[in-house]
Amino acid sequence: MKGAIRIIVNGMTEEVPEGATLAFLIEHFQEKDPALIVEHNNRFVFPKQYSTTTVSPNDRVEFINPDFGG
Amino acid sequence: MKGRPLLTEEQKRRYRRQLILPEIGEEGQEKLGKARVLIVGLGGLGSISSYYLAAAGVGHLRIVDRDAVGLENLNRQLLHSTVDLGRPKVESASEKLLRLNPSCHVQTAIVNIGDENALGLAKGCALIIDATDNIATRHVLNRVSLKKQIPFIYGGISGWNGMAATFIPGKTGCFACLFPQERARTNETEFPALGPTAGVIASIQSMEALRILLGLPPKLAGRLLTFRGVEMRFRSTFVEQDPECPLCARPQGG
Repeated sequence: MKGAIRIIVNGMTEEVPEGATLAFLIEHFQEKDPALIVEHNNRFVFPKQYSTTTVSPNDRVEFINPDFGG
Repeated sequence: MKGRPLLTEEQKRRYRRQLILPEIGEEGQEKLGKARVLIVGLGGLGSISSYYLAAAGVGHLRIVDRDAVGLENLNRQLLHSTVDLGRPKVESASEKLLRLNPSCHVQTAIVNIGDENALGLAKGCALIIDATDNIATRHVLNRVSLKKQIPFIYGGISGWNGMAATFIPGKTGCFACLFPQERARTNETEFPALGPTAGVIASIQSMEALRILLGLPPKLAGRLLTFRGVEMRFRSTFVEQDPECPLCARPQGG
């Protein structure tokens, strides 16, 4: 079984499994908007890379919910 | 023609406080006067952007909205008043814009914009301002922006929060690079909406529009600006073109 690592999600320190992918984190943190915007270490990540991008200790992840009202 | 006065005395006075900006001057003002802009949606965002652009002397505004003014609109849609209830939004808007600046040519369309009519509505326009309230219509505007090769200024709000970005065909990614999905979590239009949030985002869109019309470099090209009103913070996310975007990516090795 893999250990846990600490990363920063939306400014808060969180413990997540080592080797977690962004796709896992989206599920884990219950981000439900299909148009969610994800930043990993200040870089925008295309949705098709969510399942192949893994996080390392102290990485920063931002989940940004889109605004579509007018 | 050299030596021809660019502006009338009335215009010099009306625009005096912006004519003294080195980026504008009489030549810039004339550029604005000749420009035509498509604004889709005359709600919280479109109320503000159309008003600022008409005030600044943008000569031609084509405004599109299928809806009529409702009481629940008036907490934020500042172009419309209580006496306008039930009137088509574009009609109410056109009246106010012309009252503000009679030299502005306002064209109105009471239609639901879709792929079948978007090209015609964008004809002759230098740029598109998104003031819509759903992701599907924004994808329509993105496609017409790419077909016509004209900039598309996205803006959206929800409650205290909002975001804006500029997409320049051939130079940046497109709206579909950022939002490949055709659907959002909710497709309903009953999102929470606060007047000042719409004001912040529509003002940013208007400033970016003026920059583009004046020939200044757009500042939100390839950059998503998010505003969190609860924290009173702005944040930027740099968005590259998706090399595999089915809409805007150039075919490889072709």
